[in-house]
Amino acid sequence: MLKIGVQTKTVINHENPTEGFEQLKKAGFSCVDFSLNEYLLNKTLYAEKLNTFFDKTQEELQEYFRLFKECSKKTGIAVHQMHMPYPNYVPEAPTELNAYLRDIVAVKSMQLCDYLDCKYIVIHGLKLARYLGSEEEEWKMTEMFLDFLAPMAKEMGITMCVENIYICTGSHILEGPCCDAVKAAERIDHMNDKYGAEVLGFCFDTGHANLVGIDFERFIMTLGDRLKVLHIHDNDGIADLHQVPFTFTKTRENKPSTDWDGFVNALKAIKFDKVLSFETAPVLDSFPVEMREDALAFIAKIGKYFAEKIENK
Amino acid sequence: MKIISSIAGIVFPEFPNQGIGDIKNAGFEDILLDLSVYCPGKNLRSFETKLNSEQTRQDFDKFLKGIQSKNLQVTTALLPYLLRDTKRTDLNELLLRIGKDSIKMLENMGCKHIIARPLYVGVTFDKEWEINKAYYLELAKECKKEDTMILLQNQCKDVNGHLVRGVCSDEKIAVKWIDELNKEVGSKRFGFCLDVGVCNLCGQNMQDILVALGERVETILIKDNNGSVENKLVPFTSRSTDSNTTDWLSLIRGLRQIKFDGQLVIDCEDTAKNFSPILRPQLLALSKSIMDYFKWQIELETSLKKYHSIVLFGAGNMCRNFMKCYGEQYKPLFTCDNNSSIWGTKFCGLEVKNPEELKKLSEDCGVYICNIYYREIEQQLKDLGVKNIEFFNDEYLSSYYEGRLKRRQ
Repeated sequence: MLKIGVQTKTVINHENPTEGFEQLKKAGFSCVDFSLNEYLLNKTLYAEKLNTFFDKTQEELQEYFRLFKECSKKTGIAVHQMHMPYPNYVPEAPTELNAYLRDIVAVKSMQLCDYLDCKYIVIHGLKLARYLGSEEEEWKMTEMFLDFLAPMAKEMGITMCVENIYICTGSHILEGPCCDAVKAAERIDHMNDKYGAEVLGFCFDTGHANLVGIDFERFIMTLGDRLKVLHIHDNDGIADLHQVPFTFTKTRENKPSTDWDGFVNALKAIKFDKVLSFETAPVLDSFPVEMREDALAFIAKIGKYFAEKIENK
Repeated sequence: MKIISSIAGIVFPEFPNQGIGDIKNAGFEDILLDLSVYCPGKNLRSFETKLNSEQTRQDFDKFLKGIQSKNLQVTTALLPYLLRDTKRTDLNELLLRIGKDSIKMLENMGCKHIIARPLYVGVTFDKEWEINKAYYLELAKECKKEDTMILLQNQCKDVNGHLVRGVCSDEKIAVKWIDELNKEVGSKRFGFCLDVGVCNLCGQNMQDILVALGERVETILIKDNNGSVENKLVPFTSRSTDSNTTDWLSLIRGLRQIKFDGQLVIDCEDTAKNFSPILRPQLLALSKSIMDYFKWQIELETSLKKYHSIVLFGAGNMCRNFMKCYGEQYKPLFTCDNNSSIWGTKFCGLEVKNPEELKKLSEDCGVYICNIYYREIEQQLKDLGVKNIEFFNDEYLSSYYEGRLKRRQ
């Protein structure tokens, strides 16, 4: 059966990871999505600030996560995917900050990914279309960022995954980098041909796709086996809420307003064989602490439901 | 580029003359005949009978007499369509029959662009092209005039109340369909109508869509909404937090990039219906101004070509943005500013001068105000006796500097 994963954020504490890993195992998960972005928050970066977390040497970082790695091995819960801190470039910020994000944060993220035996790292494309004038120009900047990391990815056997993300006009959400599956597929193929290795893949985020009305089925079918990583979560089509699938309805018939049938059909059609990973950390904040275990188990159960539907011959 | 007003929410079948008069008085010369005004989606079945009834003939006669008396053109029309959330999957043949009948009538009115939404209800993913190809080719057979164009339009679809991308919302597919249909009929019979409201509901990048469709784009339906409900509001009226809800930047960039010269149609049916009929003339005047503004923004560069030389007023962010986008091709002689402390300095390669220097300009020099206090500065320039005063605007430019200037007195 397909493996089921979830974010480490809000579940696993690096100082005492045993409890979190045990909780995930009990709930029915066999993988985690390592939330490295927790250690350098986007809010901080957009305020053009940094913290000292990534000032640690590679050895210090490994030591910091040594216990985490041991618990992962002990419980058999693999780190299937990792989220690099984002954004990778802050428009209007000083050059030094952006250089730090690329030369220090991105590089050390790759090294940590390798240390944790994780094969997929999710990287956000740069949001620069407004300044540069087009999505094509924006992609060139993202490509430069990926090119910088690609030799390292190849050497480590890691696939960097670009994700469909969004931009905002006020609080209204619009498609951002990597929301065109045809272009994404061409770009992934181009980069992999260039490096002679699978250095680039795709992370499909169901919540982001739902916010900008992307047709799940067409998008996933277009990506095919370039799709390596999933961020499964739900929302009301208006805000990026990261909630449990099947939560939202918009009519009195109470049918889901997110196209989960299309999602399942497409994954089945492309014979998806990676991990059904949920990006639902906020759910654990909305449920009372006493119900967290139940909430986690419920998420895992939804994962198993998806797996059965996808693998059903 | 033609500026057009839709009749929806403004012209009513039984008494069309007041609405037609309001449209004309606002300064529009051309209207879009939205047939859903005569045939709402929920009444399609009865419309077929109605279309050939005496009452409908009388209604259309009244409408035609009204537009003729006001010397208005009807160059564009929208065929009747189904409601997004319809559960009826058996109406596609009816839509075809209504479409064919309507085309005959519209051609007689002198209509050249007929917007026909693709069929989608009850059409499965794998049959979309096959069914729509047959539908559009059948409609094309009804066109008797060489220059009649049938326009496909981007759609959203209803997933249990959530509107997501539907048929022809993927520009690559739309391009393929239009090209194949034109090949099939052996002429440029098919084109595209971009519904801005649908793009906004689906959070789409309109610049990318327009660039991919290029010269296939004949008509733009301009309307605003809040990003989740399919309303037809006056542009710039939907605001979300601290910004416009609709990404007008992406639309204007795209239209500039493809050198759009087709029909720009405003459809603000819901705003118009919200307004008292007493206020509608003022609303239409505003709509006309907004459309003129869109045209001006799209053709911004055309204004720069009018003069032998140009000078700027303002030495701040807008001047900097002007220089970034147009400075090389339309290099100003200098800029000026009311801030005397920067006179004699250089800004973005331009000398900053005292506005008094503008008195010495030649007749064929344009003065572009690069400052948001347009009317105040315009008055200052008029008082100085300056001719050829123009506004520049940097809200919708092709590129921007990252960040704003830190220095400002």
